[in-house]
Amino acid sequence: MSVDTRSAVSAGTEPEPRAVGERWARVDARAKVRGELHYAADEALRRCLDVVVTRSTRPHAAIESIDVARATRVDGVVDVVTGAQLHEILGDAIFTGPAFADQPCLAVGKVRYVGEPVAAVIARGHDAARAGAEEVAVDYRELAAIHDVDAAVLGAPFVHDELRPSAVFGDLAHLRGIRDTNVNYEYVLRHGEPAEPPPGSTTVAHEFWCPPTHHVPIELPFTAAWRDGDRLEILSTTQTPSYVRQSVADLLGIPLGRVRVRSAPLGGSFGAKMYDRLEPLAAALAWTRRTAVRIAVSREEAFLLTTRHGAAVTGSMTADADGNIVAADADVRYDTGAYADVGPRITAKSGMVASGPYRIAQAHVRSRCVYTNKPSAGPFRGFGVPQVTWSHETLVDELARARGEDPAAFRRRNLLREGDVSVVGTPMHSADFVGCLDAVTAALDWDSSIERPTGRFRRGRGVAVGIKAVLTPTISNAVLQLNQDASATLLISTVDMGQGSDTIMAQIAAESLCLPEGSVRVVTADTDVTPYDTITAGSRSTYHSGNAVRKAADAMRDKLIDIAAARFGVPATDVKLTGDGLVSTQTQESASIPELLHGHFGARGTTLTSEAEFRTQWQPYDKKTGRSPQVTEHWFAGAAAAQLTVDTMTGRVHVEHLAVAGDVGRAINPALVEQQLTGAAIMGLGHALFDQMVFDEGQIVNGTLLDYQLPSIHDVPDKVTPIVVENPHRTGPYGAKGVGETTIIPLAPAIANAVRDAVGVRITRLPLTSERILDALSEEDS
Amino acid sequence: MTTDIELQVNGERWEVRVGDDDLLLDVLRELGHTSVREGCGVGACGACTVLADGHSVSSCLARAVRYDGVAITTADGLPENDDVVEEFVAARAMQCGYCIPGFVLMGHELLAENPDATTAEIDAHLEGNICRCGTYLEIRTALQNVVARRRADREDREKTVKESA
Repeated sequence: MSVDTRSAVSAGTEPEPRAVGERWARVDARAKVRGELHYAADEALRRCLDVVVTRSTRPHAAIESIDVARATRVDGVVDVVTGAQLHEILGDAIFTGPAFADQPCLAVGKVRYVGEPVAAVIARGHDAARAGAEEVAVDYRELAAIHDVDAAVLGAPFVHDELRPSAVFGDLAHLRGIRDTNVNYEYVLRHGEPAEPPPGSTTVAHEFWCPPTHHVPIELPFTAAWRDGDRLEILSTTQTPSYVRQSVADLLGIPLGRVRVRSAPLGGSFGAKMYDRLEPLAAALAWTRRTAVRIAVSREEAFLLTTRHGAAVTGSMTADADGNIVAADADVRYDTGAYADVGPRITAKSGMVASGPYRIAQAHVRSRCVYTNKPSAGPFRGFGVPQVTWSHETLVDELARARGEDPAAFRRRNLLREGDVSVVGTPMHSADFVGCLDAVTAALDWDSSIERPTGRFRRGRGVAVGIKAVLTPTISNAVLQLNQDASATLLISTVDMGQGSDTIMAQIAAESLCLPEGSVRVVTADTDVTPYDTITAGSRSTYHSGNAVRKAADAMRDKLIDIAAARFGVPATDVKLTGDGLVSTQTQESASIPELLHGHFGARGTTLTSEAEFRTQWQPYDKKTGRSPQVTEHWFAGAAAAQLTVDTMTGRVHVEHLAVAGDVGRAINPALVEQQLTGAAIMGLGHALFDQMVFDEGQIVNGTLLDYQLPSIHDVPDKVTPIVVENPHRTGPYGAKGVGETTIIPLAPAIANAVRDAVGVRITRLPLTSERILDALSEEDS
Repeated sequence: MTTDIELQVNGERWEVRVGDDDLLLDVLRELGHTSVREGCGVGACGACTVLADGHSVSSCLARAVRYDGVAITTADGLPENDDVVEEFVAARAMQCGYCIPGFVLMGHELLAENPDATTAEIDAHLEGNICRCGTYLEIRTALQNVVARRRADREDREKTVKESA
């Protein structure tokens, strides 16, 4: 297909310097290596009081009383605030959340998980606040707690007396006030008519489990808030400054213009630092106590703020005698913990793809979001999709094996192609599953046989494919200021958290304006300055903010051309923008951007401004069938293939070669794309082999970095091959889409399929710890 | 109790009064060295790494009072043309960047002790540092390139010495 790759046309024969498609260095590369980049907690602030919260020690209990007397006597403590006090002042507004308004910033009347904030101790200095928090005495009346997602689906005890969907969302209104359930949302997909399996068909069925995991960005969450006259200002580690402004305005009952939210470069996030984290509490305390506060949490507390959803899946898949997948069924239960957060959205978005990227005649999915007495689960790189990919990519693999067919060949025959309509009803475009599958299998030389030792170490190979829909509908805006000296300042609310968005957006702006590397400065998100953007999440920024930036840059180019046309006395159609400035093709008269703007304004240091918005639309899915012809703006396609050995003595897995591929439409910066592909794969490798949060009766038992295992340099495979697949998207900026989640999605099943290939055991519960592999091996023997 | 100590940070001398429980991490950050960062508070992630007389220390576990007169190096205090920094930048060894100063200092420590560090020795030395973005391959490449660069410089110098002899 043809894609517009170049807006500015070169006037001469010399090729113009390109920005898009170039491996520009990150704009902040040197500052990051030297440690000179300032993250939120590094910023100089006005003097703040420190806040440390007292956390619940019970998974489910009524709060009978809170005695703060001893805490207030701690040297340095200036106040202790409880949920009841905030509720009296702010009312039900203290219950917030992106889908359900169910989570109070301090517990009111009841606690629902171990670690829930119960009281906030405000002190001069962090040590005093911490000492005070330990002195708050809470008298609990224990309530029956529910920890298991499948027990919670069945009935009592109930985590919430009634469902409290946010008033903002019409599609959740029917859930308001429903009682006696832990299921806060259910998505159902029905495609095709159920039928008896045809003769000669093969069916496989399994039960699957993915445990909750934690994001563990190495930068800890941090929020400071202060009152400035009738305004509230916040500096926070957040991926969602525009959301936080709205949430805090709602909480305090003040107009958006009186709330300022600033973010900062994030030291990683992966979904941990978004929506309502520390911000509502900081805002409520700063506002009601008319002071400045700062909340810097410890790693142990960070584990309690949000998690990835644990998920149980009951799945089956059927292929006919010709090897075509004819039916798929998935019953998905997401454990969203004590508060819904964005769980209901995850439940729907992941339910849509629970049968995988395949042509399937008949599919049925039931996906439920379930409360339990655990820390609230929220968004995590992949938005629930890795959990259902774990099931469909295991089932597909087993189906191929049951038929005696090569798992890659079986997938290739059944994968969705360009223009195919998925089971959810929306067509495929710029999502080359076959290309990704072929790329990763070719990297492993899949068609030639591998050496398969029969002793202690066994070798195997596995592959998996993943599909995810981009968040739709969403909104991005961009404001571009071209400075008189031909440098530029770009105002967007996209947050750079390591994905490199500041660099990508600079490249998109520079491409249109023929500006060189280093000339575009991206302003850090600040709701007083940078325009609305839905969120930095779900791999949406390159496409959405990128489109807004491109439109703003194109508008800027048009302005320059108009100014030059007037200066040259020629029609605008005769003026071209080149790397040297503006030139008339008719008269050959030319002017650099600095000359042009100096002439236009009659002053140095001036700025020319342009702006643009970009929005996507969807058609809400049908309530009965879960289908829609436009459920998403576009799809992400990815694949992973692994070659590994299993030590049958220890159960240890050693990955020799991991190949990952993603269809990114077009790579704005191939180096940054490769880092996302590889980085997501290494994170996914942790999920495959050891990464998990362990709970005992609601109490996390491995919530420190001494106990919680993360991939280290020793876990990196001997060889990693990231492969950029490019099928330009018809409406992407220069054809581009996002990439941040693409390879985490198929990673765990690719590893498990390789383990299956190596030692013949099928493990359906993550992670594939040594112990689990040994258990499976000895079960196989007996 | 409090103690007056002299901290030498990147060659700058500071007179600091510290409490017994004050962490080196917090004192360095107060002095402006925000390249030193808390990631876990238990010495398990490496984000707070500094060099004390050339040896790596998890400053989140170190009591400042014990560093009286000790020469502390932080990543932000490395010379402008530092070869480890240069190779990290060239190898694109950063994503979010939060953990990278710790890796840079670990690299310095290793290559000062073992200029010919092998890949296995590099990995072993970095095993206590976590990069959650998964930039390990680039970090390893950066340090391999420092080894090669210093070796080439050394050989050049030896050649020059021989030629002049």
